Amino acid sequence: MQKMIYNPVKTVLFLLSFLFVLSCAKEDIGDLSDTLYVRHKGADMPAHIYGNALEKVFLIILHGGPGGDGLVYRSGTIKSKIEKSCAVVYFDQRGSGMSQGRYSEDGISVDIMVKDVLALVKVIRHKYGNDSRFFLMGHSWGGTLGTAVMLKNQDAFKGWIEVDGAHDAKGLYFEYPNNFRRVANEQIAVDNNTSYWEGVKDKIDGLDTTTYTDDDFYSMNREAFTAEQKLADDKVVNKIDKDIQRELAVNAIFKNNLLTVLWNSGNTQSILVRDQGIFENLSYADRLNEITIPSLVLWGKYDMVVPPKFAQDAFDDLGATSKELVIFENSGHSPMLVEPDLFAKEVIDFINEYK
Amino acid sequence: MKKNIFVCLYLWYGGLLAQNLTDFDNQVENPSSNFMDKTEFRAGYYGNFYWNPGLTFGAEYLWKEKVRTKEKKRRTKIITKQWLLNGTFGVSWDPRTELGVFTNYGILWRRTNTKGKQINIQFNPLGFYRAFLPETYEVSGDNVDKVFLPGRNYYAPSISFGLGKLRKGKKLTGRYLNITYMLRTPYNANSLPSFAIEYGYRFNFKKKRKYAKDDL
Repeated sequence: MQKMIYNPVKTVLFLLSFLFVLSCAKEDIGDLSDTLYVRHKGADMPAHIYGNALEKVFLIILHGGPGGDGLVYRSGTIKSKIEKSCAVVYFDQRGSGMSQGRYSEDGISVDIMVKDVLALVKVIRHKYGNDSRFFLMGHSWGGTLGTAVMLKNQDAFKGWIEVDGAHDAKGLYFEYPNNFRRVANEQIAVDNNTSYWEGVKDKIDGLDTTTYTDDDFYSMNREAFTAEQKLADDKVVNKIDKDIQRELAVNAIFKNNLLTVLWNSGNTQSILVRDQGIFENLSYADRLNEITIPSLVLWGKYDMVVPPKFAQDAFDDLGATSKELVIFENSGHSPMLVEPDLFAKEVIDFINEYK
Repeated sequence: MKKNIFVCLYLWYGGLLAQNLTDFDNQVENPSSNFMDKTEFRAGYYGNFYWNPGLTFGAEYLWKEKVRTKEKKRRTKIITKQWLLNGTFGVSWDPRTELGVFTNYGILWRRTNTKGKQINIQFNPLGFYRAFLPETYEVSGDNVDKVFLPGRNYYAPSISFGLGKLRKGKKLTGRYLNITYMLRTPYNANSLPSFAIEYGYRFNFKKKRKYAKDDL
């Protein structure tokens, strides 16, 4: 019996040691692999920092969703190239990814989430030095949040990168029908998936697109993802490379607790979309001219989720004197996944120019 | 609201125990009143993915046992139903983000058939979960402070359903495979449900004491 008791104890100690060893962060500033939490207004939010921090240049990525997670972006050339030129911060926003904490439903709002991002900047400065420099990149919903961060305190950043971002969240609903019809007509004209695109047009015609409803918004949003898949099937946009697919799967399943991430996503999206009506009421389109720091606008030509009209709007309306618009000819909503080399080149060039 | 739920759970749990105390006289078989004879321990794997692993250790104290025997043509059918008080201590690990330590207490119902196959249903209304986080910095205004022993505490009741096998005459007296649902609350603006698989073995100290006597 003694042996029987002793063995489990040894096993437990061994496993615990093993787990702690695995969870130890590597503190090589030239090849950083660090996870820290930001505690702010009732939330504990993880920031995974990877890459080259020798120059103390940090690219903070704001994930999509709302309710996505940061590490999903650690694939393709963001990992293999951008991390070589600067440190990339994969941040889980409040109520998203592996963030945890305790607050009421009023504890999630765009305003508080903006302050969370600025709190993250303070933490990185505290840990890595006040001479740290920051670039902010927002993808999709991250484009909404990132624009709000810029409007709150753009001085904290050297540059702003909007990637297929919803700076005009309210405008999405009314632009979806135009974009669907435009792309559908294009594809029908070249005889690509005609029956599908005819069906999309019929579906849009059947919706009341003059008055916002959550149900119709989500119906069109889901259709947008399906439409991008059809475009990929017809080789109008690139498909995600198998290696990147593998990295995405590994990140989703092995780096985070998938069930927790999905649960958080549902809750946060429900609060922000259903309760606070971000896609019904929120727009920064009229305030883009207040953003004056160097800005880079990256967009997929066939983005069905956040239509490319918003790319041109962003470029036209941003108040920065140094701004650039890059349209990815073979991309939909996620150019970092389907045109990864061009994506990395644009981002690295931008950071090198303005760091 | 949450306080009321907790009070209701407590009262229900108390009532359940009281019920068991009341029924104690009716029990058919309760071979020993010795604490160690009525207590079994268990250790096992706990995790909701194999890459989100953990371990649990627990003790089960036999509260009440009923043995029903039926004579069949070829064999005797013995069904044992037990109510056990259950306590568990466990750890689970999420890669890079947290080390969870939890403990919970409740009641376990177990049915064992003639072949030793078991059904386990466990309800643990009293549960506590501590998430230990890695390096954490608290931001308040312009102040940034490193948090000492960062983490979060949660009320974490759980229920389990599972199957097992009695291993008569073995050092490890039984094995079990449970599916456990644990709720961590309050978590963010809501609660966090989690499912985990538990696989492990039970053991006790009865045999050792018996053999020790035999050796004498």
